[in-house]
Amino acid sequence: MSDTATARRLRFEIFRYNPEDEDSVPHTDVFELEETPFMTLYIALSQIREKQDPGLQFDFACRSAICGSCAMMVNGRPALACRTLTADLPESIQLYPLPTFKLIGDLSVDTGTWFREMAEKTEAWIHERLPFDPDATEERMSDDVAAAIYEGDRCIECGCCVASCGLANVDDTFLAGAGLNRVARFMMDPRDSRSDAEWFDIVAGDQGVFACIGMMACEDVCPKELPLLEVYAYLRRRTLGARFVAKSDRAV
Amino acid sequence: MKTLAATPASHSLTHEIISGGSGLVLALFMWGHVVLVGSILTGERGFDWMATFLEDYYIAQPTVAVIFALFLVHAVFAARKVPAQLRERKRIIALAKGLSRSGREKVATRTEHSPFRPHVESMLWIWQVRTGMVMLVLGSFHLILLGLDVFTPLFGDIAGIESQTSMARVGAGLWLPYAILLLCVEFHASVGLYRLAIKWGADLWLSRSAMHLIEQIIFWTILVIGGLTLCVLAGWVDPPLAFLLEGGAS
Repeated sequence: MSDTATARRLRFEIFRYNPEDEDSVPHTDVFELEETPFMTLYIALSQIREKQDPGLQFDFACRSAICGSCAMMVNGRPALACRTLTADLPESIQLYPLPTFKLIGDLSVDTGTWFREMAEKTEAWIHERLPFDPDATEERMSDDVAAAIYEGDRCIECGCCVASCGLANVDDTFLAGAGLNRVARFMMDPRDSRSDAEWFDIVAGDQGVFACIGMMACEDVCPKELPLLEVYAYLRRRTLGARFVAKSDRAV
Repeated sequence: MKTLAATPASHSLTHEIISGGSGLVLALFMWGHVVLVGSILTGERGFDWMATFLEDYYIAQPTVAVIFALFLVHAVFAARKVPAQLRERKRIIALAKGLSRSGREKVATRTEHSPFRPHVESMLWIWQVRTGMVMLVLGSFHLILLGLDVFTPLFGDIAGIESQTSMARVGAGLWLPYAILLLCVEFHASVGLYRLAIKWGADLWLSRSAMHLIEQIIFWTILVIGGLTLCVLAGWVDPPLAFLLEGGAS
């Protein structure tokens, strides 16, 4: 890490626009500041807001890559501001809000509405097989299944995969990485009562995994490094199987 | 459960199987194609023997017809994923350029824990669309030309594919469209196989980086053999494997 003697002077080009303000025009503002050791984009943005422009809008909450609210386009790639060290970036840094989501202002976007719609479309909650019995012992689950479900549940809904998806950028109904990951998580769960035939319309529909154009950016930008491409391969094969099983059932 | 799809979900699956399956067959065929045309590397006699064999046993004629049909089917079903509006395509190109450039800048202070993993596949997708468009034109031309070569002898007293005609054509200037076609086909096919393998088996056989490496090895190998074949056909290079057939020359 550079010491103060050789500290870099960082140049931030930040997108500015307030949709609530009729006089506001989309443009970029340039801010400069001295890099400090272990500076993250979140720290840099906080400094800019504190010392240069108190009106700058950006989201944050946890500062430790778990709340998923500080995702933004950093030099053309979605990333979490709190997890990105300025040392990994060139001196010139361009910050834009995530595409595909509704802009609140400057770098702040509303990911909540998108994720809520996705959850409602896919009914992303456990559909119980039996009525809940508080006295019954819990059903056992194998370690492998539990680990696979947990892996899918690590998604923090930051929206990086959606923003990096070519298809999601031109078709706002596509389930994208986060949505397909969520579907797979419930398909794996033995506590969920939905059969593959019931899932078929969601997974194989024109908003599902077969609409994916295979650009693979979702996995490369995921801050939690979720194995999204493996999730899609699983969904594809399971849907293919469901199709053949469904056909042979009908034939019988 | 609510139905989300505007069209029946089974259609999406069927379309995916048709576009992926036809792409797979065409890509595998191109490997065989390289070997067949590569017979010119052993000299004109090798090439003519191969061509006569394939035509006399009626292998060439149905192959050309089936490949042309698959070619058109693949174009129709693969093109359904290309956004129709120019505005949408521009958006995807801008996104892909940003994604492939970021993380590649020379940064002296970069830590080993940089979260910016290299990403090229979005740009590869765009180049697949572009090469696909070029192939639709040049490939159709090539397939029609070859179709005439193998089908007209069935109706008249004309020779089929001949090294003399092929070399005269390539030398006269057809080398340029064929060179472009070769580059487009091999790129499109190797990237397509890589994408197909990731789509259906990212968690099964090999890691993604291994599959990407194999894709690049296939691309360069076939491109070099194809390029050499084209040079021999154009008459710029002597057949390097001519010694294989020397025994029967006298």
